[in-house]
Amino acid sequence: MGSKSPSGLIAKGYTVTLRAPKDEQPLLIQDGLPNFSHVTLLASDNKHFAKDITPQSLVELLTLGTNLMLTVGPKQNLLTSLAPEFSLLLPPPATPLVSFFPERSDPANVVSIDIKSKPTPNDTFSVFSAAVEGNIWFSGTPFALGSNPLLFPILSAPAESFAADLTDAPGLVSDALVEASEKGGEGLWAGSSLAVVAGFQTLIGGGTGHGADSGPGEDKQARVVWVGGSSLFSDEFANKKVVEKVKDEQGLKVVEKPSANKQAALDIAAWAFQERGVLRIDSVSHRKVNTTGTPEMYTTNDEIIYNVKISSFNPINRKWEPYSAIKDLQLEFTMLDPHVRTALPAVRSIPGTYSTRFRAPDRHGVFKFVINHKRKGFTHLHHTATVPVVPPRHDGYARFLSAAWPYYAAGDAREEKKSKKE
Amino acid sequence: MKTAFLLFLAATAQAARFSVESMKYTVISGKGEPISKPLSPSAQPSSETITIRQDDTLKLSFQINDKISKQAVQPAQTFLRFYDEQSGEEGIQPIRVTSSGKVKFELNMAKPPLSLPPTSNSPLKVTLLLGSPSYTPEKLDLFSLHIPASHSAPSHPDEANFHLLPEIAHSFRPEPRLPPRAVSTLFAGAVLVIPWLVLTGLWFSISPRVPRLFSPNILPFTASLGAFEFLLYRYWVELKLGDVLTYGAILGLVTVFTGRHALASIANQRLGQK
Repeated sequence: MGSKSPSGLIAKGYTVTLRAPKDEQPLLIQDGLPNFSHVTLLASDNKHFAKDITPQSLVELLTLGTNLMLTVGPKQNLLTSLAPEFSLLLPPPATPLVSFFPERSDPANVVSIDIKSKPTPNDTFSVFSAAVEGNIWFSGTPFALGSNPLLFPILSAPAESFAADLTDAPGLVSDALVEASEKGGEGLWAGSSLAVVAGFQTLIGGGTGHGADSGPGEDKQARVVWVGGSSLFSDEFANKKVVEKVKDEQGLKVVEKPSANKQAALDIAAWAFQERGVLRIDSVSHRKVNTTGTPEMYTTNDEIIYNVKISSFNPINRKWEPYSAIKDLQLEFTMLDPHVRTALPAVRSIPGTYSTRFRAPDRHGVFKFVINHKRKGFTHLHHTATVPVVPPRHDGYARFLSAAWPYYAAGDAREEKKSKKE
Repeated sequence: MKTAFLLFLAATAQAARFSVESMKYTVISGKGEPISKPLSPSAQPSSETITIRQDDTLKLSFQINDKISKQAVQPAQTFLRFYDEQSGEEGIQPIRVTSSGKVKFELNMAKPPLSLPPTSNSPLKVTLLLGSPSYTPEKLDLFSLHIPASHSAPSHPDEANFHLLPEIAHSFRPEPRLPPRAVSTLFAGAVLVIPWLVLTGLWFSISPRVPRLFSPNILPFTASLGAFEFLLYRYWVELKLGDVLTYGAILGLVTVFTGRHALASIANQRLGQK
């Protein structure tokens, strides 16, 4: 990382330890425990690394809850062989991302990417904060993304860009591209479906990097960010101006704007290091309507009220705060299959609380309340609570049904007669 | 020597420009005459719309020249970009340029190219991208293409979990149907009234006398029998069997004594009468 980004991280309160690719110390994992909360591999041009840096150790770091930021380079190394395990499809070695658009004095493999050109993975979350404005300089390898839903693009390649080796004559390059595309499959790397920065949220992992206060056990997940080239973080690109032609009254005007690389690098690191989009379930409660306390079991057709409290991590004061902004939270009431799936809207008066009311199905059995909220960019929320649903007890049925009135009357008349005779 | 000169020329000219000439498209349908039309592409959005059906073939041909020297050019990047503005799906098809700058592209819907994105009913925007070192890149809007809708893109089985899922409501068994309350009331009334009518009728026909029914010696016994009736009613409404047995045992004990007292008082009276 250029000297700028570590200083940005240090300013945020991180303790940064730098280690050359072939240094033996400090170890990533010592005595089975990770030495760092977050690990960034920036030596993308290196072919060989110290012997404790292997694909296996990187995956182990993830299971231990360490967040990773990995940069791939033009050469084959352990990261290019690890990338396919994360559903990233890399182009052949030595084919960087190139674009002739827009016309500029820089070489074709130094690409400026407008972050607004491609929508964010979903409407509610963007890795880049509003502070990232303008274009990001990038030079490196793009990757096609497999269909794995845990993976999502953070920064997409421009629609006009493609991966190619431009050292040959233009005619040969063109022919090679046509042949690659005729091969089908992943023969051609081109267009805005490619990403140059991609995020991956693991399903399991040791923690959120926020110490013991990281939420209930199985909800902990680690994050990996894949970056196509470490130059994105370089001082050179952070200071490089973006030249734009802007139309005004006198016609075209050339405007120089600062690049967004510095803020983008900080934002990418902020997502990777679990500062943003980190949620946890604090508590779950359920009860019957008009009662208090959680019952041991429900009766079929009971009206049930379900509440959940969710908070998000605030990196500024390092505290968990109630979070009411989830718009599409859903609750399932399942026995093998979901019998009920209903929206779990936020309660306006109590921050961080989501509540719903529904009628228990008229099927008895062991049911589960399930929250399984997975959205790209956010921590996955998962919680289950098991409750039995039983049929009414022998004395739990309604009395004085209108259909039975004649029978009650008959019983009464008979009893009366009996007593009169006495 | 000539190419070397051209390369030199290309390098020195700050930004040479492409010129796309004699562009035309032809739609050849299974039956009927082929339709041919010239196109004049520009960077502005094009209003040209082409519709092709399942058994049609679209042919596109044009010539790429250098704008100034009028020499044929082979750009490094000659891409057709198919873009669905609705779904955001994108397909990119590199096309071959001959050394004489001629380009021919054929889209046969019976055998669509792999680069064609999954399509819906919305049209694909087709753009021509031209790029080469030392040339000003060109992005030319060609036409909107309506093609038959394809199957949707295959997605990961877990992908659905990352979006809002359809709501599921449990379909409950229908509530048991009850006859109208009026009918129930009528029959309940009938069942109540008729036996009482018969009873009172018979009662008056034999007119028995119960002179001691409300005497303080008999009343406790009748009251304890009434209490049994009330207990059974409570049992039916809310009490558990254990409670009923407890209360029943206590009541039974009381009834034994009140009964014995009542019988003894009747016996006394009878003996006293004698």
